Amino acid sequence: MSWIPFKIGQPKKQIIPKTVERDFEREYGKLQQLEEQTKRLQKDMKKSTDADLAMSKSAVKISLDLLSNPLCEQDPDFLSMVTALDTAMKRMDAFNQEKVNQIQKTVIEPLKKFGSVFPSLSMAVKRREQALQDYRRLQAKVEKHKEKEKTGPVLAKLHQAREELRPVRDDFEAKNRQLLDEMPRFYGSRLDYFQPSFEALIRAQVRPVCATSPPAPWRQARLWMHLTHRWRTTRKCTRSSGT
Amino acid sequence: MVLSFPEPAVMADHRAEEPSSRSGSPDEEGRVSEDRSLLHQRLAVRELIDTEISYLHTLQLCASDIRNHLQQLPQGDLDILFSNIDDIIKVNSRFLHGLQETASKEEEQVYLIGNLFLEFQEEFEHVYKVYCANYDQALLLVDAYRKEPALQREIQRIIEAVVPHGLLTGALEQECLVVDLARPLAHHKSQSMSRGLVSLCERITKYPLLLQKILENTLPDAGAYPVLQRATFALQDVNANINEYKIRKEVASKYSKVEQLTLRERLARINTHTLSKKTTRLSQLLKQEAGLVPKTEDKEFDDLEERFQWVSVCVTELKNDLAAYLDNLEVFLRFRPHECNLDIPGGPVVQYCNLARDLQLKAFLEFKQRLEALVWQPLCSLAKVLVGPQNLIKKRLDKLLDFERVEEKLLEVGSVTYEEEAARHTYQALNSLLVAELPKFNQLVMQWLGQVLRTFVALQRDLAEQVLQRAEGSMTQLPHQHIPEPDFRKLVENSLGQTSKQLRSFRENFEKVLPPPTTQPLLPGSERQVQALWSRYGPGKLYQVTNNISGAGSLDLTLPRGQIVALLQNKDTKGNSGRWLVDTGGHRGYVPAGKLQPYRVVPSEEERRGQVGPHEDSRHLTPEPTPTCSVPTVTQVVAAYPFLARSSQEVSLQAGQPVTLLEAQDKKGNPEWSLVEVNGQRGYVPSSFLARAPSPAPWGWSLTS
Repeated sequence: MSWIPFKIGQPKKQIIPKTVERDFEREYGKLQQLEEQTKRLQKDMKKSTDADLAMSKSAVKISLDLLSNPLCEQDPDFLSMVTALDTAMKRMDAFNQEKVNQIQKTVIEPLKKFGSVFPSLSMAVKRREQALQDYRRLQAKVEKHKEKEKTGPVLAKLHQAREELRPVRDDFEAKNRQLLDEMPRFYGSRLDYFQPSFEALIRAQVRPVCATSPPAPWRQARLWMHLTHRWRTTRKCTRSSGT
Repeated sequence: MVLSFPEPAVMADHRAEEPSSRSGSPDEEGRVSEDRSLLHQRLAVRELIDTEISYLHTLQLCASDIRNHLQQLPQGDLDILFSNIDDIIKVNSRFLHGLQETASKEEEQVYLIGNLFLEFQEEFEHVYKVYCANYDQALLLVDAYRKEPALQREIQRIIEAVVPHGLLTGALEQECLVVDLARPLAHHKSQSMSRGLVSLCERITKYPLLLQKILENTLPDAGAYPVLQRATFALQDVNANINEYKIRKEVASKYSKVEQLTLRERLARINTHTLSKKTTRLSQLLKQEAGLVPKTEDKEFDDLEERFQWVSVCVTELKNDLAAYLDNLEVFLRFRPHECNLDIPGGPVVQYCNLARDLQLKAFLEFKQRLEALVWQPLCSLAKVLVGPQNLIKKRLDKLLDFERVEEKLLEVGSVTYEEEAARHTYQALNSLLVAELPKFNQLVMQWLGQVLRTFVALQRDLAEQVLQRAEGSMTQLPHQHIPEPDFRKLVENSLGQTSKQLRSFRENFEKVLPPPTTQPLLPGSERQVQALWSRYGPGKLYQVTNNISGAGSLDLTLPRGQIVALLQNKDTKGNSGRWLVDTGGHRGYVPAGKLQPYRVVPSEEERRGQVGPHEDSRHLTPEPTPTCSVPTVTQVVAAYPFLARSSQEVSLQAGQPVTLLEAQDKKGNPEWSLVEVNGQRGYVPSSFLARAPSPAPWGWSLTS
């Protein structure tokens, strides 16, 4: 915890054992990394789904623009081709929208909730830190008084200082213990938390919401195949009629 | 240079026959002239066949030997030079074969020859027009070669190697031909290549002449006459068509080039001529718009143009939309949520990351590459192709204005200048070119477009199949794969609900790490009292007074700050929950609840709700820690030195004695004196004799310390 400013010249006394400090730093460090990764995952996931939607929207635009061309009125083959394309694009867009909604519900929002715990944690750690500072300071005061001659006023002050010190030390120890308890438990909870989300994420790629309809990419693939077949036959017609 | 065998023999025969026909009777003369005609005819036929043979030989020499040796030239140049010579060779070989077959049939030969020409008419036109139209470009290329001496020497060497010197003579020396290309080769070696190339163009022009010769020498009532006549006209038509085609091509290539001119170049181009041209056009246009002059309405062309415009718009829009799609695809590929590291060793998280990585690196990347190569590139080429016709259409409009003006002048004046005539022809050439070729062009573009769209769909399908395959593969490893979708969703919802409760509890726990309460220090001597209360009532019932309480009614207590009391009832007999019944250890009475604060004797993990009483139901979580050392009003101090009161307003102090500080200044505001209370007495003492103590009273009521 090198960010604690301490006065130059004052030796830093180890009032808490090194192992405790190390444990705390290790646990907190893990959690800090988890926080960063969670934030990053949330951001990337959101941007990725947005891009996915943008892609299918621009595909729909392709077919819409084609439909609005006057050639469609003149050329019935062209019209049928473009209409088929339009239907396919719109279906793909609908599927993507469904998928993104799923992802929003099962991944992005839970991620947000998970992330909302971290501010409380960091506040708690700050408070512990402050308690540690107070503890140190008062401890130093006590030491200072101890070193002076044992006169009346000095003794009074020493007594006072000791009285002040005790609650602060206990407070710090309480905070420390609590955090050392809770942090690993919180870290471990991520397993329970993320696994179902990600499982849902994989499934969203394959099956739409309704169980009775076939899985969407399969449906999509079939639709495409149907389209290309139809166009091949159409092309044969135009070929024969054109030449 | 035309490589052919001179045919003095034919000439000799021809000349030799002449004198014998001079003598004879009219009847004989008639017969003789008949014979002579027949002879001429036969000679002409033979000439046809022989020249065809030598021509074909030339072709093959050019095509195979010379071309094969010119390997150092790039393939594109070779294509320009030799164009569709292979096709021509094929057509002419068949033609020659047909000719040679007729040779056996004496009587009907001319008839068959006529028919043969008619048969081959279309093919000739088709094949030669391409070559002739391309011819100019080939010539330009040969000129370019001539300018490079090294290359030129190489070409010469090759030609001389392939063709023996002695046979390099001029072209066919026959009096029936219009063009006499007999030139001694020695002086014009550099033109040898171009000569070779021009022979093809010339051959097609010779056919009608040859036919004419045969026709002349055929009797009008012979059975073959009409056929021959038709064949002659047909070949003349062929030549006319080829000529027109060539003109069209020239016009097209002149105007369809997209010229990238800088502004300066454009300005440099402006001269009086162009200015006058443009102003005349503009005035013509204005006259039309004003209705002064009738506009030439060409419905056919307008329809074609309209369709062309639609097609063009279609292609442009598609290109733009596809560009947007590709951009979005690129953005999509930029984000990689699967690269997060949550430190989860296995399970669905890892599977998802693998799946996503797979999809991005393989499936989508491949999709993108294929899309660019198979859809985007062709579409760009298609868009480029449309530029030429666009220019031509624009030019046609300009030329139309010129044409109309010239027509006007023609009507008024009756004659036009050479330039105006040229303008007319240009317009007509452009118009006929466009009318002839636009329909096919439109159709081709539509086909191309259709192909592009189909490819796009095929790529999407492939991508969908890939995604499906990989995702399904991934799914088989999932723990809940057998559960149908709606049940699975419920499962996920439940589990998420549970874990979210857990998260909430975590958060609350973290927020509970509160500062210790600012407990007031105990009054001296009260520890035993507190202990008694604690043992009698339990720790949960102890409260500390936060401010001095002055009781008003008979049952109200007057308590100093810091006193510990035990709660008996948290409301009075009238039900007022603001007044509590408490036990001080000695007295019982009512005190205002707002001045009480829960007091904890032993350190515990239980929540403290700050200085606020039980009024509030909602939990106030105070995230901000109040500094443990500062209490708003420090009233509990310790006397550092002994002090003897010298007046009634002062009070005596003993060293180490805890006193209650009431005011830190005297009545006049002098901070050097403080009003304190000690042992029930109040008085002023010097402020410096007091040592301030912090507020937190010893937590530790610890029975073990």
